[in-house]
Amino acid sequence: MLRYLVQRALEALAVLLLMSFVIYLLLGLMPGDPIDLMASGDPRITPADIARLKALYGLDRPLLERYGHWLAGSLTGDFGYSRIHAVPVLEVLAPRLVNTVWLMGLSFLLACLIALPAGVLAAVRPQGWLDYGINLVAFAGLSLPSFWLGILLILLFSVELGWLPAGGVGTVGGGGLGDRILHLILPVLALTLLTTGRLIRFTRGAMIEALRQNHIRTARAKGLAPAAVVLRHAVPNAMIPVVTVLALDFGSLFSGALVIETIFAYQGMGKLIYDAILGNDYNLALVGLLFATLLTLLSNLAADLVYAWLDPRIAYAPA
Amino acid sequence: MRRPEPLAWPPAGVAGARTGARRSPGRLLLQRFLRHRLALASGLLLLGLVAAALAAPLVAMALGLDANAVDLLDRFGPPSAAHPLGTDELGRDVLLRLLYGGRVSLAVGLLGALAAALIGTVIGLLAGYAGGRTDAALMRLTDAVIALPLLPLLIVLAALDYSKLGLPGGLMRSEQGSLYVILMIVALVGWTTVARLVRGATLSVREHDFVRAARALGAGPAWIMGRHILPNVLSPIIVATTLSVGNIVLTESVLSFLGLGIQPPLPSWGNMLTNAQDTIWQAPALAIWPGLMIFVTVIAFNFLGDGLQDALDPRSGQH
Amino acid sequence: MQRLMALCVALAALWGGISAAQAKDELVIGITQFPATFHPNIESMAAKSYILDMAQRPFTTYDADWQLVCMLCTELPTLENGKAVLEPGPNGSQGMALTYSIRPDAAWGDGTPITTQDVQFTYELGRHPQSGVSNAEMYRRITKLDLIDERSFVMHIDRVTFDYNGINDFRLVPAHLERPIFAADPAAYRTRTSFDRDPTNPGLYFGPYRISQVASGDYVVLEPNPRWAGKAPFFRKIVVRVIENTAALEANLLSGGIDMIAGELGLSVDQALAFEHRHGERFQIVYKPALFFEHIDLNLANPILADRRVRQALMYGIDRELLTKKLFEGRQEVATGPVSPLDWIYAADVPRYAEDLAAAGRLLDDAGWTEQTDGIRHNAKGEPLSLELTTTAGNRTRELVQQVLQAQWRRIGVEVRINNQPARVMFGETLTKRRFPAMVMFAFVSSPENVPRTILHSDQVPSEANGWAGQNYNGYQNPKMDQLLDQIERELDRPKRQALWRQLQQLYAEELPALPLYYRSDVHIWPLWLKGVRPTGHMGYSSLWVEDWRAEGG
Repeated sequence: MLRYLVQRALEALAVLLLMSFVIYLLLGLMPGDPIDLMASGDPRITPADIARLKALYGLDRPLLERYGHWLAGSLTGDFGYSRIHAVPVLEVLAPRLVNTVWLMGLSFLLACLIALPAGVLAAVRPQGWLDYGINLVAFAGLSLPSFWLGILLILLFSVELGWLPAGGVGTVGGGGLGDRILHLILPVLALTLLTTGRLIRFTRGAMIEALRQNHIRTARAKGLAPAAVVLRHAVPNAMIPVVTVLALDFGSLFSGALVIETIFAYQGMGKLIYDAILGNDYNLALVGLLFATLLTLLSNLAADLVYAWLDPRIAYAPA
Repeated sequence: MRRPEPLAWPPAGVAGARTGARRSPGRLLLQRFLRHRLALASGLLLLGLVAAALAAPLVAMALGLDANAVDLLDRFGPPSAAHPLGTDELGRDVLLRLLYGGRVSLAVGLLGALAAALIGTVIGLLAGYAGGRTDAALMRLTDAVIALPLLPLLIVLAALDYSKLGLPGGLMRSEQGSLYVILMIVALVGWTTVARLVRGATLSVREHDFVRAARALGAGPAWIMGRHILPNVLSPIIVATTLSVGNIVLTESVLSFLGLGIQPPLPSWGNMLTNAQDTIWQAPALAIWPGLMIFVTVIAFNFLGDGLQDALDPRSGQH
Repeated sequence: MQRLMALCVALAALWGGISAAQAKDELVIGITQFPATFHPNIESMAAKSYILDMAQRPFTTYDADWQLVCMLCTELPTLENGKAVLEPGPNGSQGMALTYSIRPDAAWGDGTPITTQDVQFTYELGRHPQSGVSNAEMYRRITKLDLIDERSFVMHIDRVTFDYNGINDFRLVPAHLERPIFAADPAAYRTRTSFDRDPTNPGLYFGPYRISQVASGDYVVLEPNPRWAGKAPFFRKIVVRVIENTAALEANLLSGGIDMIAGELGLSVDQALAFEHRHGERFQIVYKPALFFEHIDLNLANPILADRRVRQALMYGIDRELLTKKLFEGRQEVATGPVSPLDWIYAADVPRYAEDLAAAGRLLDDAGWTEQTDGIRHNAKGEPLSLELTTTAGNRTRELVQQVLQAQWRRIGVEVRINNQPARVMFGETLTKRRFPAMVMFAFVSSPENVPRTILHSDQVPSEANGWAGQNYNGYQNPKMDQLLDQIERELDRPKRQALWRQLQQLYAEELPALPLYYRSDVHIWPLWLKGVRPTGHMGYSSLWVEDWRAEGG
């Protein structure tokens, strides 16, 4: 067990290191650097200024050297400054992470609460009317262009009905918990609609598979009540793959939901990383992306552990 | 230890493997598929859409119009005999643009899914068949790609300067350049699901007697993979690919929303929808049509994939 | 949970109702960009200027009538009033000495009076190679600074220009807060400045408002600065909220999330027109012609475009009048060159290139593009008359205009291929390193009577050798133009200067180093009760006069 954990952790570290390099390289391949961009917008910046500023920001050195410099710094816990926020990277990241946890956490929770029962219900009688109905809803959610849904929600609930704020994290100056929840309703609703479909489909698939198992048929043959068969025997089996997928999804929560955040002017990780990339904010983009990756890897690991725990047949052998 | 694949497909595509080659007659498949009425309807609808998109030049001729013909004197025109669905913000025919946009969107979806499936199949086969270190390395690579926050990366890839990478500058600079870039991006990040499916299936098929026999008879790896393993993993590939088409169509629309999608004047449903955002009050129809097309297409591909899954999975006859 | 939510909704509705009933003493402004820094001299960014202009003031600025005025100074130095004096420059050239005095009542928000010590520190900061100040050119021109007393100083500059007394970019930095930080480690100053580490420190500001709260990426709150000695501002609180997606920005305006959309950083004219058609009666919508010169830069090294007849034909081939009339309902004016029709130096009698397809055809024939195949002209060598046009991907207005132009040029047998790029790619490389094969569409922003030296002078062509500096992306080189630019800059006499400006515009229109399209307008959308905002249309934003803003009946 311990050996397995250590190995997985080492692997994760290797992946992270590799990723940091690849991302740095990719960012470097993007045309233009911050100073070029600044100079193009301000005619008064002279060649001398450009050279001076590039040297100041370290942009005149080769990409590999900059990467090495960054890596050395981050190993000591210094992740550098964010160029577009003008503060240390971690200071920008922290509040955004909190916002993202709110937004994504709530919609994740809601999606689970809706999708798991819905998926199970649909699987009980495949091809029945309930199954059709649930499938239809699930597929509809899967098939909506996200920005379209966001704008429609705002038009309906904020502009036409005037019930809910159209965007932002909270009322300016902070309006307390209720205010925060009020601002969360629309984005959470949009995200839940968009993510529930996949989860319903997956739960349904896993349930159908579980209901086919021999021991279920045995239980049925023994005359157990259908509800009891489903709940006591099939659901636990079906949950094994579902939990794995949930864990994977959970990891990806932390990279945020760029489109929804943009539409609802919500300050989350997705927008942060996006702006950092487009604004040539190497440090912030890199740390943001790596952080999101790390969490995905961690929840991958957690998924494996949970999987093993749910299914004792699996031994911890290095893959 | 491996996790099950995050797709509603029974983990092992083994059932048909006992027979080596596919024995189940096509008619049985067809029957099973036809039973799935929604899938059938979706399939027909998609065929219709593809046919309509392909017929776009004919429609253009019949109407005597050009999809890119700008008419500033007839902006936001209502539906009329000359323009069955009216005209857009530049006086262009909406119907024609929808058809041509369908060509682009469907091409991106289908070609992107195919390319991704191809890469995934090759990697999956290699990993599953070779095993050992190759397998471990390829699967870590897959993990890494899955762990990547997708959207931000798409942005980096879309903004890259491809001539720096030695890619033909002329190709990327052509009017369809953005189309190629998007196809490449989609293929580069979309192969993981198929790769995992194929690897899993390959692992289990590899040890079957008929494969051992073939190997004993001196068949080379390429032959075994192509002749014996591939046919047995084909069905999950088909299903996964079908399901991913819809996702890719959505991805294109999101990229358009971010200004990184198909570039004008080439229409796509994604960029038509994005352009309609600002005039949503003035001309809601401009937003409704492409939104509807995207929605219908994605949902149809999902139903189709669902139906194919039931049809191609021999055990689905059990209930 | 449901009940809690219902309660919240009810409470919010109640709260909304109450605040609407009160007299408006708060203003929520929507803009589309968040500033990267609040330091006045590091980076130049519209969002920063817009917000900072409520809390700080430049020494001088152009006002809403495009006249140079004093803000922090008491009087503009001029040759007439004797506060500007010609003197020999450092290396034999002619220089000037300018005397400015700081307003006697000016004080930082923490009570510290503004003195020449602050001027001295700002100057040192600007000249220090490691300070991170982006626009150091202005400080380099100041060869020496003499402090006369607490409030007055003499600035020695190394050249004589007609706009000698405008120091719009000289933005004071508080020495009492920033000098110790800078002195400790100049290279680290840009990351340690109080403007970013402690942006709500009252001592950083001296305008009618001071920044009292910053939520990065989200909003900035401004409150009246008690130390402000000028006209008392009306609003008790101003919130600047950032909503980047313009559709969401509109929705927020309609749902009451924001009160107004700033013209400087808001909707484009076509978006605003669509908005006005439906909601025009609920808001005041003001279109202010701005110094945004939308045009197409040409790569003059391209053999097709090197021929002046082709450039002129391209102009005759498009109907800009129709374009602005239909797309912008005439709210944006057709441009003849880099001088705005609203500038006093504008010459109306230069060639205007109204649509003339016959003339375009003749010019192209003369230039050798005679063979028509599939509607596209070819030359004797069989090469097609095909040009690539790039603009910023995702900028909807430009994409619309671009497609109209493409369709119009098609009529005279010119094929235009569109290859758009994200702004950072286009401005970061394609344009600035002149890596575009034919045409790039974008805008130059400027101030009144701005000499277009950087875009027209032959020494401003970006190249590897000059570190890619300058904005003459066309590669336009004409000694006559160089001479005119130099003469205009040095000419202090207004009528004489006007004549020179006329020559410049005439030359530009004949030569067409770039294709002028139109001048953009800022669209200000205000609530019906807001009064006193005066849009400027240039880089001295309306927020510089925020103390004049008020709610009607308040």
